[in-house]
Amino acid sequence: MIPGFGNLMQDVLWCFSQVKGTIDIGVTEADIISTVEFNHTGELLATGDKGGRVVIFQREQESKQQPQRRGEYNVYSTFQSHEPEFDYLKSLEIEEKINKIRWLPQHNAACFLLSTNDKTVKLWKVSERDKRPEGYNLKDEDGRLRDPSMITTLRVPVLRPMDLMVEATPRRVFANAHTYHINSISVNSDYETYMSADDLRINLWNFEITNQSFNIVDIKPANMEELTEVITAAEFHPHHCNTFVYSSSKGTIRLCDMRASALCDRHAKFFEEPEDPSNRSFFSEIISSISDVKFSHSGRYVMTRDYLTVKVWDLNMENRPMETYQVHDYLRSKLCSLYENDCIFDKFECVWNGSDSVIMTGSYNNFFRMFDRNTKRDVTLEASRENSKPRAILKPRKVCVGGKRRKDEISVDSLDFSKKILHTAWHPSENIIAVAATNNLYIFQDKVN
Amino acid sequence: MLAKGVKRKHGEMEAGEAAAAPAAGGSPAPAAPSDSLFNISMLKLHQSLRHVEPNLRYLVLVANTLRRIQDQMPAEAEAPPPPPGRPPAAPEPPAGPGAAGCPDRRGRPAPEDELLLSSWDASLCASLPGAPEGAEPPGPARPQDAAPPDGEPGGRPDAPRPPHPFFGSLELLGSTGSLLEDSLEDIFEDIDTSMYDCDVWSPTSLAGFKAFSGADEEGEDGGRLDMNDLDYLMDVLVGTHAL
Repeated sequence: MIPGFGNLMQDVLWCFSQVKGTIDIGVTEADIISTVEFNHTGELLATGDKGGRVVIFQREQESKQQPQRRGEYNVYSTFQSHEPEFDYLKSLEIEEKINKIRWLPQHNAACFLLSTNDKTVKLWKVSERDKRPEGYNLKDEDGRLRDPSMITTLRVPVLRPMDLMVEATPRRVFANAHTYHINSISVNSDYETYMSADDLRINLWNFEITNQSFNIVDIKPANMEELTEVITAAEFHPHHCNTFVYSSSKGTIRLCDMRASALCDRHAKFFEEPEDPSNRSFFSEIISSISDVKFSHSGRYVMTRDYLTVKVWDLNMENRPMETYQVHDYLRSKLCSLYENDCIFDKFECVWNGSDSVIMTGSYNNFFRMFDRNTKRDVTLEASRENSKPRAILKPRKVCVGGKRRKDEISVDSLDFSKKILHTAWHPSENIIAVAATNNLYIFQDKVN
Repeated sequence: MLAKGVKRKHGEMEAGEAAAAPAAGGSPAPAAPSDSLFNISMLKLHQSLRHVEPNLRYLVLVANTLRRIQDQMPAEAEAPPPPPGRPPAAPEPPAGPGAAGCPDRRGRPAPEDELLLSSWDASLCASLPGAPEGAEPPGPARPQDAAPPDGEPGGRPDAPRPPHPFFGSLELLGSTGSLLEDSLEDIFEDIDTSMYDCDVWSPTSLAGFKAFSGADEEGEDGGRLDMNDLDYLMDVLVGTHAL
């Protein structure tokens, strides 16, 4: 067993590691975290918030003196990615909220990430500067120009160390390509292209070209009155650069092959589970709407999240999912209330662990759930300040559905629906998870033995 | 699911959809949950459409849910009263499965639709590509009994319903790209620009002018126009006026 890979859930005890964000009771809307993403090595962890800011945390080097502190994450860079914009033609304000961040693989000292709001995708370069040149000939140390006629000798500028400065610069802005709201971006395995998906269209971009993109999916009906379905998420296959999937508000997944035609309106595969007649209700469609779709690292499976379940699909089996996990089935009898207060429209994300053996997703009351695909065991954990002592082991939580409530259990009616865990991330190779709870970012690690 | 005839407590209203589903034995399922669901859905639809750019996913899901609710409602039921608090001028929802805010039988658009449409000139709507024939603004002014197109997914042949007129207004909202590319000339075609249409400002003559002035840019003055250039410029301007 590779150290750091939790292959069996019962072997893993999750501990609190860190929490970022303020403890204030009144949370400003701008501080609400809207996306969380580890980079490909796990060294960097990026968050985006409703105020358009991106904060990147870097894992510190592990020290032998303190082996318990397994590499804490500290702030590395903070920058304003998107600003609120005003569309004068439509007289509407475009939100600066960061919908998604996706990292590019790192090839040199600088890191690159894509961040997007509803309308515009930006490529950011994050680079370090820890040296600066000194000893210019034409300007002095204050930057003032020297009179060339006064120079009698020439010197070669030397690089001297300086305090580390991390700069974030926007390298590309991909704008004006989306009429509707962008919900997903995905970097292709060719590392030359990426796609952006809005409610009705998916565009393919080349990183070098900002003034045009290819439209590869268009489900906009000729007559908007016929609109009954929207795109909810999209992702490229991790290895096959010609393959991608997109999910819909009707609970379907389409796998497309870009080699088949330029416009991938015809899917290569269509994944849909037939509706269970015993569970049919007015809200069947809403709860079947897929809020997130993620390929496994292996590329063999696709995971989807709808309102009540997480499903794992085998790409070779289209008629039903391979596995279905109930996230919070106790909400099934509450759908009417959840429809009234709009909670039924919450979009939860889901993530795989590095070995594709465990999947994780969020719920309400700051609960999040993990499912071990091998042992079929699951656990409910909570991100809360009360459990925030360093290296405190997280105690599994349980929701009481009916009958007598045990001491440690919480009843369904006591759940706080304003505390929702929509965004989580799992380190690519270790048991480190980042959980966004409103304006706080919790980092949990497995217990070091 | 509730057995028929079981007395339900208020808390069990959560399973409102069970009550609305047609019971096999025709037991008197109370319509109240369904009515409130219907009203809630209508309200949500209206509120969503008030935005300049509504959340499409939300809108589509609510509209589809509304369709489901209406399908389940008894066909001969009277139009449910509008929810309390709404302005008295709000039209009764039609008995047929129509979209939110359909005009009442007299064809008046709902107040919300008038708000939506008031910011758009009817002629502007007409000039856009894809606008319906007859240059009618999209929205409730459309004939209510237009049969849905064949391609409408989930359309029921036995109960033809009018298409949701409000999604037509989305066509306007969503077509910024085409508005700029195709229709700008159409919008301004009634503005007389003849006094500005002169060959002097055509690209070819301007290019010549640029080439003329470009020759001086490599000079020591760094591109400052000399008197000859200014004279030429004055001639051009005076020449325009003479037209």
